[in-house]
Amino acid sequence: MLDVAAAPARRPKTDPARFAVVKNALASAAEEMKIVLAKTAYSPLLKVAGDYSCGLFDAAGNMVAQGPDLPIHLGSMPDAVRAVVARFPEILPGDAFIHNDPYHGGSHLPDVNVVMPAFYGERLLGFGCVRAHWPDVGSATPGSYGAVTEIYGEGLRLPPVRLYRDGRPDPDIEALIFANVRTPAERRGDLAAQVAANRRGVERLAELAGRYGADELVQIMDEVLDYSETMMRAALRTLPDGEAHFADVFDGDGIIAPGAEADEPFTVRLAVRKRGDAITIDFTGSDRAVPGPMNAPLTVTASGVYCALKMIADPKSLIPPNSGCWRPVTVTAPKGSVVNAEAPAPVVYANHEMSHRVADMVMAAMFALSPHTVMAASQGTSAVVTFGGLDPRRGERYVSYESLKGGFGARPTKDGINAVASTISNMMNTPVEILEMSFPLRVEEYALVPDSGGAGAWRGGLGVRRVWRVLDHEAHAAVCCERSLVPPFGLAGGRPGAPMRLKLELPDGTTRPLNSKGAFQIPAGGRLVLEAPGSGGYGPPAERNPALLREDVVDGYVSEEGARREYGREPD
Amino acid sequence: MAWRIGVDIGGTFTDVALIDEASGQIGVVKVLTTPHDLAEGVVAGLSRALAEHAADPAGVALLSHATTVVTNALLEKKGAKAGFVATRGFRDVLELRRSSRADLYDLFQDAPSVLVPRRWRFEVTERIDAEGRVATPLDEADLDRVIAAIRALELDTVAVSLLFSFLNDAHERRVGLRLRQELPGVGVFLSSEILPEIREFERASTTAVCAYVGPLLASYLGRLETAAAALGLPAWHVMGSSGGVVDIAEALRMPALAIESGPAAGVVAAALAGEDLGIADLISFDMGGTTAKASLIAGGEIAVTAEYEVGGAGHLKRWLAGTGHPVRVPVIDLAEVSAGGGSIAWVDPGGALRVGPQSAGAAPGPAAYGAGGTEPTVSDADVVLGYLDREALLAGALPIDLAAAERATGDRIARPLGLDLIEAAAKIVEIVNNSMAQALRIVSLERGHDPREFTLVAFGGAGPVHAAALADELQIPEIVVPPAPGAFSALGLVTADLKRDYARTFYAEIAGLDPARLAAILAEMEANAAAMLTAAKIPPGRQALLRAADLRYRRQAYELTVPMAAGPVTRASLDALAAAFHDRHRQTYGHANPGEPVQLVNIRLTALGRLKRPSLRQQAGPARAPRQRRVWFAGSGLVACPVLWRDGLSVDAAIPGPAIVEATDSTIVVPPSWIATVAAGGYIRLRRT
Repeated sequence: MLDVAAAPARRPKTDPARFAVVKNALASAAEEMKIVLAKTAYSPLLKVAGDYSCGLFDAAGNMVAQGPDLPIHLGSMPDAVRAVVARFPEILPGDAFIHNDPYHGGSHLPDVNVVMPAFYGERLLGFGCVRAHWPDVGSATPGSYGAVTEIYGEGLRLPPVRLYRDGRPDPDIEALIFANVRTPAERRGDLAAQVAANRRGVERLAELAGRYGADELVQIMDEVLDYSETMMRAALRTLPDGEAHFADVFDGDGIIAPGAEADEPFTVRLAVRKRGDAITIDFTGSDRAVPGPMNAPLTVTASGVYCALKMIADPKSLIPPNSGCWRPVTVTAPKGSVVNAEAPAPVVYANHEMSHRVADMVMAAMFALSPHTVMAASQGTSAVVTFGGLDPRRGERYVSYESLKGGFGARPTKDGINAVASTISNMMNTPVEILEMSFPLRVEEYALVPDSGGAGAWRGGLGVRRVWRVLDHEAHAAVCCERSLVPPFGLAGGRPGAPMRLKLELPDGTTRPLNSKGAFQIPAGGRLVLEAPGSGGYGPPAERNPALLREDVVDGYVSEEGARREYGREPD
Repeated sequence: MAWRIGVDIGGTFTDVALIDEASGQIGVVKVLTTPHDLAEGVVAGLSRALAEHAADPAGVALLSHATTVVTNALLEKKGAKAGFVATRGFRDVLELRRSSRADLYDLFQDAPSVLVPRRWRFEVTERIDAEGRVATPLDEADLDRVIAAIRALELDTVAVSLLFSFLNDAHERRVGLRLRQELPGVGVFLSSEILPEIREFERASTTAVCAYVGPLLASYLGRLETAAAALGLPAWHVMGSSGGVVDIAEALRMPALAIESGPAAGVVAAALAGEDLGIADLISFDMGGTTAKASLIAGGEIAVTAEYEVGGAGHLKRWLAGTGHPVRVPVIDLAEVSAGGGSIAWVDPGGALRVGPQSAGAAPGPAAYGAGGTEPTVSDADVVLGYLDREALLAGALPIDLAAAERATGDRIARPLGLDLIEAAAKIVEIVNNSMAQALRIVSLERGHDPREFTLVAFGGAGPVHAAALADELQIPEIVVPPAPGAFSALGLVTADLKRDYARTFYAEIAGLDPARLAAILAEMEANAAAMLTAAKIPPGRQALLRAADLRYRRQAYELTVPMAAGPVTRASLDALAAAFHDRHRQTYGHANPGEPVQLVNIRLTALGRLKRPSLRQQAGPARAPRQRRVWFAGSGLVACPVLWRDGLSVDAAIPGPAIVEATDSTIVVPPSWIATVAAGGYIRLRRT
């Protein structure tokens, strides 16, 4: 992190009009990369659900522009590019690199980074990086979401390697990759899309260098970082100084110990220290690493922190998110703890489950300092569901990956939002019609869950129920969810939202509860039922405006019984 | 003589433009908009236009209209009481949307609004599977209950969107049939008729938008039909959102086509101005009485988006994706701000000067119009500063009450803020210019286009008054003011081609497709389209039917639209189509996968009635002697300024700023550092000196 006291040496600033043109052109280039990826990718997870991020980086690996993608990748994308810079001293036009190693700047193995240098003539301008979630990277479980105890069991692990030379793929590396993943034809299409998206980004950088000169472009890329830093510091200055603490309990790591009936919960603790224009988040006191894949590399933990701080300090979303934003922010955690994983700890679940929860925890701690710029806990889980097996319709293997969105936390002046991505996540659902045309599954319900929003003066957002039936084959399924034990908290007297709920309905009519993490089989005709959590309420339920409560009851967001139980009021 | 007539209704004025097909001669009439019944203003304008140009109603070849009714109903949430019927388990699809949020970091963002509240969403037991087969038959008893509920709730319309109805519409048609039979007063919109395309949310949303605005559009167009028929005029056409006109039946079948109809007309006109002058890169800027709109034309192409959302939330004056209602029809890409001549200036409780979003509209209008307005507006400030004539506008037809403008500006703004009158008016203009500059930034800078490489086409009654100040702000080097700028959008209406798009979902792999099957479908679609054009009196020589196919690699989710050759469909022509797809994919995305099977998803047919493109010619009225008045400019204060009358200026005449050029329907402000040149065809070009 940058030393606050050291004033950076300033060159004469670029003329403000040109700065604005180039800054916006960089952002729109990152957005274009995103469009190329979505429109050409093969797996529904990428082409319709948008589980990827695209960014443009300077030659040192700082993120200069991110597309309107996933906040979860804010913290670790720069490290993914820096890993390439560190490993390859000589980078040439026509190169492209690939890696997914969480211990080399990745987040978890399914997130595959493709990094491409941008040149203007001989001059290295920076990099494009496209991080895309592959629905499968090998391992024992289709979807690569099994509960294992070492990263070696989580799938194919790629350190940074050169994938393209002189603009052509290395057939040996490709062969190695595609021999290790399920549905290689689909992965081939996804990888081609990642390369194409990067090409678009680096072409745009080269065009900007052609128009304004490479020196000026590189200088503006620097200034864009400084600009965000300056704005972030100014925003932090407006928040009160002080120190605050929060601790929260997690469902567990998906590994049920021999003889135990359920997963073992663990605890994460954080302290926020805010002073002037800088802030430190310290995770000292958090539990040690867990056996299962709930261990977060520090960059994953940091992503949760960054996302929450951006929402708190910049609630109108005016500051361009790039590496400059995080210069005033320090994130520390004891090495080997569950929030600062060391190899070979398994990590696959933690990527979204830890960063979701960390973002909510930062909100809760900051509530003590600045209660009017935070929200109550959101769903706190990505509620991931994978299915895999042999599609009887085509005789081909398939892997499906979805994430279910519950409530977005209630705010000091507004209700939460029903069934929408919160904090670090912004993935889309997979349209039912696309899912069913792609995979041998039928969705039988996708609906809001009444009474799942935490009661409060401002009601929490409702969670959502989705029910899948497995058609004509036995499916390997896995889930990765949180908040089944401790529901999303309310703030200022608001009540918690409904917890995560999971069950399996077998064709013989029996029902089996499910652990919130882990893999299992579903026979033909079986149904998987998931309810993503609602979010917490804000302010005491007794202060709920009666007219709003009445509307909620008419629309069925709150049942009549819920109105009596949670709000102590008789609906008229 | 064959005339085409276009009518554009703005918040303040209703504009009627005529063009003589043979000579390109144009005529323009402006009347005040009549908000209590818009048809009244339309009739007044049409009657005057016919009389002034001695046009025979029977000789009118095309009567075309741009309407803001649909967009306004969505923005003001004043649509119908619409219900929604879905497959059991899926009534919340309109609210669940795609589950992503509009702004990543905005803690206080609003939940997206939903056109159909949950209490009016219904489910019927039925299911079509992903192969288009019936998995669960339609439960008629369920439908009985839904029909009873809709009747009891007295809903105006109902949108029906069942899963996989784009593959098999049997259930949806059955639901539609029963609703139409048993609820005769209720408008029924079926997704399989509106947009038979995959993706349940987007299809349902487009259908719900149609159900929400349909009744308003129908009653509105009905009133206009009656009015036009009484004048002996032909049936109306309506400007569609992508810049072509459609007939009324098509507009009512799919009301979403009338979204942004008004702005589309203006952009079409701006593109025509570019063609006339040989300028390919333009920013179209239209400032009327209530709003200002900006659009981009790059390389002669109007920017169109296929992912439009209507009725969204403004965020720093831009419409945020994810907050409005998606409609899957192509819409001209534009930015709009609530800033116009009628925008009211006010001092907020914190003591800050604000302009808009309230507008004095047509009634009472700006204080200067002397129709009872007491609030100071942008036009009042323009009068105080000397930009607008202090005696009369519209060639004397609209007397100006200078004292009223000064009183409103003085009492409401200058005194509370401790400013003198001129300072107060200048601040009002500065604020409104800032907010309009933001719209120009959105369509240029924010999309990575440098405004310094574009020409501003300024129109709308107030556009040429404010254009130079905006061009200074964004460093745009040149401005074009077209002939009849005050009614320029109406001119777009009479120069756009007749256009109707047909689509048919047809899943097939090109390699295994029997050419005869495709040929049969095309033949049926083309017969329909040709019949439509013939009914619209388009002679065979001006009819065009353009085929295209939406293609993709089998595992992709998005298609590329590739033109398909006319003539017989053969194995060779299908192979050529697949080859064209690989090429287009490579051009668009930088790579192709020639070994992969290519899948056909939709067949598209565009029916065009190509209208003759006349070059605009404005009959110059009599010249008037130059005058002089004191006009305020930033940087120089009040200066003596020549005031010229636009009619009678000779081509190539150069007018150095400061100067004011007045015409019947608009006023051009030429600040001190600018020079105006009169070009052929009635255009005036402004350049910075």
